[in-house]
Amino acid sequence: MIKSLKFLNFTAFDSLDISFSPGVNLLIGENGTGKTHILKAIYAACDITKSKKGFAEKINDVFYPSGKQIGRLVKRAKTSTSGSMELGRETPDGKAFSIKLTLTSHMLTPTKAKVTGATKLWLENPFSSVFIPVKDMMANAPAFRSLYATRNIHFEEVYADIIDRAFLPALKGPTDHQRIKLLGILQAAMDGKVITKNEEFFLKNKQGELEFTLLAEGFRKLGLLWLLIQNGTLLSGSALFWDEPETNLNPRLMQTVVSILMELQRLGVQIFVSTHDYILLKEFDLATREHDQIRYHSLYRGGNTGEILHNSCDTLAGLDPNAIDATFGSIIDRQVSKDMGMLGK
Amino acid sequence: MIVDADGYRFDFTDAINVFKFDETDPTSPTFHGAPMKAVDVIAELSDFYLFIEIKEYPASYDPDAIIGEKTCSEVDCPNRTKHLEWLKNNLKYKFRDSFIYRYAEDKTKKPVHYLCLLNFDDALNSVIRKTLRRELPIDKVPARWVKTLAQSCQVLNLDAWNRNFPKWPAQKVRAA
Repeated sequence: MIKSLKFLNFTAFDSLDISFSPGVNLLIGENGTGKTHILKAIYAACDITKSKKGFAEKINDVFYPSGKQIGRLVKRAKTSTSGSMELGRETPDGKAFSIKLTLTSHMLTPTKAKVTGATKLWLENPFSSVFIPVKDMMANAPAFRSLYATRNIHFEEVYADIIDRAFLPALKGPTDHQRIKLLGILQAAMDGKVITKNEEFFLKNKQGELEFTLLAEGFRKLGLLWLLIQNGTLLSGSALFWDEPETNLNPRLMQTVVSILMELQRLGVQIFVSTHDYILLKEFDLATREHDQIRYHSLYRGGNTGEILHNSCDTLAGLDPNAIDATFGSIIDRQVSKDMGMLGK
Repeated sequence: MIVDADGYRFDFTDAINVFKFDETDPTSPTFHGAPMKAVDVIAELSDFYLFIEIKEYPASYDPDAIIGEKTCSEVDCPNRTKHLEWLKNNLKYKFRDSFIYRYAEDKTKKPVHYLCLLNFDDALNSVIRKTLRRELPIDKVPARWVKTLAQSCQVLNLDAWNRNFPKWPAQKVRAA
């Protein structure tokens, strides 16, 4: 599992040192506070344990800076500067180690970047990871993989990766009891299960087979989750990164999504979710049981320079600042003023 | 004018009168004394009345914790749908009974603002406010009505209260 992340002059961050829960990690904050950057950085470090790609190369492909100039990932400054990111990790047998990537702002290619730390140990302990981006790719899966592999198209690699993960065939042997339960919950919510034909996804139920292009995007999300559970990508020891799950998801389906994510956490999947949505956040709060491991991370701009700061807390009530609740607070204040004018002021 | 109610202290600096409306002491001149639900506090301002109801919910489930007049187990706290339904009904009927009581006192000449002080976050308070306004009702009233029951209804936590009402500062003085 991923224990910690440190950024120094990396993308939007001056300095960040954040510790993660081995269970669910919820990142909240206004736009431009680096939530997706955190998810991508950790995902890239997880992915190389399986893909064996170079760390700098993966970071470059996942972030996709202009011209693929990796030096552009260093936080902008008037003079040439260096930046770094460092990830701490712990294996199930208790071994703790880290890797660090150091860049300078004038670097053009990933080969110039410096990777230090326990790189060998990092790669010798592989684990599955999956990044679900905001934009749905399931309906666009046909031919996207071959296009991405042969042409230089302007897509961050997370979009190709998610399709690869979804196309993985089912694991050998019978599906275990816990996964059957989760698949059942999803099948009930989306009224069917997912099949693939010629690189195209369909929802299959009693009425027939419905191609994903005709399926509501919210159901495609449930379908993707179904595939990742069914094909064993999300097993104990794996990591799931989900950027704004609420996008195009009916609020009523959020309880289902959250219950699945909490169950995955109980099975030993480490989960990282970024969100702007109160309902999603509240569903996590309500679904948390005594032994669940959940941490809320608030990212916000502060200090004299408006740099990105963070605060982490194990309860939603204790999270401060809470950008989502602050928005509701602002609405309440304006409503009171509208209804009561200057009364009490 | 200062009043203590349900573990909170309010200072209505511009009030004509403030009192505990659900007073249970029979020797008090403001003893309630009717088999009706009652809001916690009423404040009289120059042009308005304020009906104030306070509700505190335990952070975690405690079957014996008191919420209003009932224990958590009686309210069925772990079932959040029933929980919020009970709360909404409680707030609704307290207002209506208090309004009828005040009608009998001939104290309904000024419009009423109903202020509910809850310990929920701003988002959840917004949801309760919306439901309460619909059911009191405030927003959509029958065409036959020529008067309003309440001028407005606000559901606020302590932070939001103090943000919005600097002339009526509130603070927690003990666990409710």
